[in-house]
Amino acid sequence: MPPGNVPSRTELLQGTLDMLILRTLLFGPAHGHQIAKHIQRTTEDVLQVEHGSLYPALHRMERKGWIVSKWEMSKERNRELKYYRLTPTGRKQLAHEESKWKQMAKAVARVMWPGPGELS
Amino acid sequence: MSNWRGLLSRAAGLWQRQERMQDLQREIESHLELEADELQESGISAEESRHAARRAFGNTALVAEDVRALRSLSWVEGLGRDLRYAGRALRKSPGFTSVAVLTLALGIGANTAIFSAIDALMLRPLPFSHAEQLVRLYATKNNVAIEGFYAGSPSPPDLRDYAQASHSFQNMVVYDAWRKNVSYGDAAGEPEQMSVGLVPAAYFQVLEVKPLMGRLFTEEENEEGKNYVAAISAHLWKTRYAGDRVILGRKIRINDEPYTIIAVMPDVIPQWMEARHPGLIEVWTPFAFADAWSEASRRTHGYDALGRLKTGVPLEQAQADLSTIAAALAAAHPLDQGNGVAIKPLADTRVGTLRPMLFLLMGAVSLILLIACVNLANLLLARNAARERELAVRVALGAGRGGLVRQLFAETLLLSLIGATVGVALAQTGLTALARMHPKNLPQLDSVSLDWRVLVFTVIVSLLTSLLFGLAPALTGTRLNLVDALKQGGRSGTSGVHSQHTRKLLVVTEMAMSLMLLVGASLLVQSILHLERQSLGIRQDHLLKGHFYLPGVRYPDPGTLTRFCDEFARRVRAVPGVIEASITTIYPPNNGWTQMLGIPGHPATRIEGIPAAQFGVTDAHFIRTMGIPLLRGRDFAESDNASSPPVALITQEFRDRYFPTEDPIGRQIHIGPPPFLQIAPGANITDASDVTIIGVVGAFRNAGLARPPEPQIIALYSQHPLVNYGFKDIVIRTASEPHLLGPEIRRQLHQLDADMPFAQVQTMDELVEQETGGQRFTTALLASFALGGLALAIVGIYGVVSFLVTQRTQELAVRMAIGATPTTVLWHVLKQSLGAATLGATLGLLGAVAAQRLTSGLLFGISSLDPVTFAASAVFLLAVAAIASAIPAARVLRIDPARALRQD
Repeated sequence: MPPGNVPSRTELLQGTLDMLILRTLLFGPAHGHQIAKHIQRTTEDVLQVEHGSLYPALHRMERKGWIVSKWEMSKERNRELKYYRLTPTGRKQLAHEESKWKQMAKAVARVMWPGPGELS
Repeated sequence: MSNWRGLLSRAAGLWQRQERMQDLQREIESHLELEADELQESGISAEESRHAARRAFGNTALVAEDVRALRSLSWVEGLGRDLRYAGRALRKSPGFTSVAVLTLALGIGANTAIFSAIDALMLRPLPFSHAEQLVRLYATKNNVAIEGFYAGSPSPPDLRDYAQASHSFQNMVVYDAWRKNVSYGDAAGEPEQMSVGLVPAAYFQVLEVKPLMGRLFTEEENEEGKNYVAAISAHLWKTRYAGDRVILGRKIRINDEPYTIIAVMPDVIPQWMEARHPGLIEVWTPFAFADAWSEASRRTHGYDALGRLKTGVPLEQAQADLSTIAAALAAAHPLDQGNGVAIKPLADTRVGTLRPMLFLLMGAVSLILLIACVNLANLLLARNAARERELAVRVALGAGRGGLVRQLFAETLLLSLIGATVGVALAQTGLTALARMHPKNLPQLDSVSLDWRVLVFTVIVSLLTSLLFGLAPALTGTRLNLVDALKQGGRSGTSGVHSQHTRKLLVVTEMAMSLMLLVGASLLVQSILHLERQSLGIRQDHLLKGHFYLPGVRYPDPGTLTRFCDEFARRVRAVPGVIEASITTIYPPNNGWTQMLGIPGHPATRIEGIPAAQFGVTDAHFIRTMGIPLLRGRDFAESDNASSPPVALITQEFRDRYFPTEDPIGRQIHIGPPPFLQIAPGANITDASDVTIIGVVGAFRNAGLARPPEPQIIALYSQHPLVNYGFKDIVIRTASEPHLLGPEIRRQLHQLDADMPFAQVQTMDELVEQETGGQRFTTALLASFALGGLALAIVGIYGVVSFLVTQRTQELAVRMAIGATPTTVLWHVLKQSLGAATLGATLGLLGAVAAQRLTSGLLFGISSLDPVTFAASAVFLLAVAAIASAIPAARVLRIDPARALRQD
């Protein structure tokens, strides 16, 4: 992104969703429903993953090569489901997103709750 | 073919896309099931949980759309889908679609056909190397170009002097072509009459055409008696001599004399080059006229001449160079006084006098394209305005601006594609029709073919128009305030004032342009009717004419010629169905043979002062056969013959010119040049005899259809042995359809001489038609353009008014509800379109006046500002416009105010 080009709200959210999906897949392969439920549960229902944006996001990430998918038999559900897996590129991307997020969180925090160290 | 590979991989991509979308569908379904299962586990009913799952998920179609948007980076696929939508949309409004397609097709088709034809006629590069250096040389008289029948080259001795003195030319040549009886093979065979080129080697050298086989003529072979050598075309060699490898040295018989074939020439010299002579020239013999080069013949024009300029010499410089030489020649030779020369690029002489007419056609057909584009713009504007609401609804439902534009783009594109396809078909049909109806004097039309450059150009022009007007409203439309657009949709009385103005402006333009076309076309149509329907001064109906040639080998002296002609005419007169027949060299509308005269009371010491008149020899039946009235004196009689004193008939024109006050009957005149010119009697088809005038006959056209008759003198061939040549025509007045007698006349001729071709058999009506063929052809085209333009204008006006009525139904209903009568409302609507039409017509009249210069030179018997034509065209166009607006406007009368107001 060229400097001075402020990321729009959707892009920010999208980026966040990507990160959350990648992080979820770090635990191992999962299908779309699992990913959504996992994010929802871990954030104690604070983040409701809109299913409408989940699947386009998954497909986009697959196209970028961050994840791969495969239809596999689910043992507990006894039906074929589409499982997503993290790729090495995906791992790198996760690291990248994470550091970006941390930077941002730090920056936001500095504005919101300026500490004594920051003021001197 | 990388294109094909590209297409294949795209097709494969499409197929993959299909798979992926199915995959997504399956994935979403399994998601919904998992969600429903989960909800069911928490104690909700199966039905309920399925619904809840779906609710939680949101719009599945939207998700699919998102994924598709994500994936469909292949624009072909997107376009394909848009085109399918577009096709559906166009099918839904067949009226709009068919009119738009026809409009496009007419614009594209007419322009492609006409420009292709004009390209074949006069724009294609000549088939000669460095053709830009090639010029034709024309004789001028007192600096005025000699037009019509006498148009031709300077005389051979003049041309020789030009060639010697000029610094601008590489080479120059004077040549001719005569109709001769030709038969092939070593023995005499059935001859046919054809034009034979009489050319020195320089003819081919100037054109840089080299023989395929053999050699060019030598200088010596240009001498009479040594000229029995011939070059033939490759086509003739293949068809008549079966491509015989040892063709050189074989014989071809011309006018019953054997000529040795010494060369085979490539088929590169196009027919239009020698269009003055009928038919394609395929046999050439040397230019062997002893007296053509004599000093006495400096005044004889009427040959053909070509020159090749030196590299880089501009036309003006060459012309100036020649003019200087002409002045020097005039000073040195009394016969050259007033003689000059004009040069024209060979490429510009292709269509002769039709050139300005063809440029006019190009202009007219461009106007058609313009009108078509305007009409298209109009149609698209109206359609899109009517769809404003539909578009707004789409935006409200979440259609992206890009998608909307893309869809309108697809619609316009599809429309243009269909229009272009129909246009190509139209152009092809048109060209075939053109080639079929082509007049004889435009032989190039044989090789006409669809010009792809023009096609691409016209398609691009109409595509740009469609895109401009098809997308402009879409682009502004998407910027529209949705709420406003939706609200206004129903009550649009005040909306779109701007676009209404645009549409009216388009109607004004259309009216103006079609009126210009209409005026031009009706002037030219009237002109050609005047030209064809004028009285030639003869009784034109039921006259058949044919040409024959008595070769000098078998008919060596005037006595034999006379006996043959008299006998032939006598036999023809005895044929049932023949009323009269005459052997003659004269027939309207062109004569083309002048003689200098000596007339008492008209002494001439200077060359300009020498009396001259059109001359020709006939037998005694001439004026009776032609139906020319005898005004004074007596007609020829059978007793006027070789042994009686020579007599002559003169026309009224002749009398007016040379005997304005006295009675010409019984006066003697001399036919032939005055002694001081020192021209040998009989040289250069000049006569030398004294005749007594015995009668005055009505004038008839003898200098072309469009020119007033020139003084004419008619003599008897039996009494003028010096000018009694083998070239003769027979004119026959018949009781019934003239062509029925053709075979019988030919049989009579063959009974007298089995080897004599009977050629150029046609009726006088056909002759006149042939004369005007080129003009009739171009006028017919122009008239059809005017009709096409009119049709487009009608469609335009109809469309605008009917749109106006639909758009304003509610406003009109309000007016009616508060007391306006239907007639008032009708008038209210009509007033607007008629206002635009009247403005357009006024502008059109002004345009036609401004453009009158274009037609003025092309008209005969009518002024280029003929007020009746102007007024009638305008009134007609306005009447048509009124009807075209009244039909849709009448819908106003059917408006039910109560219902119209309740709508929306």
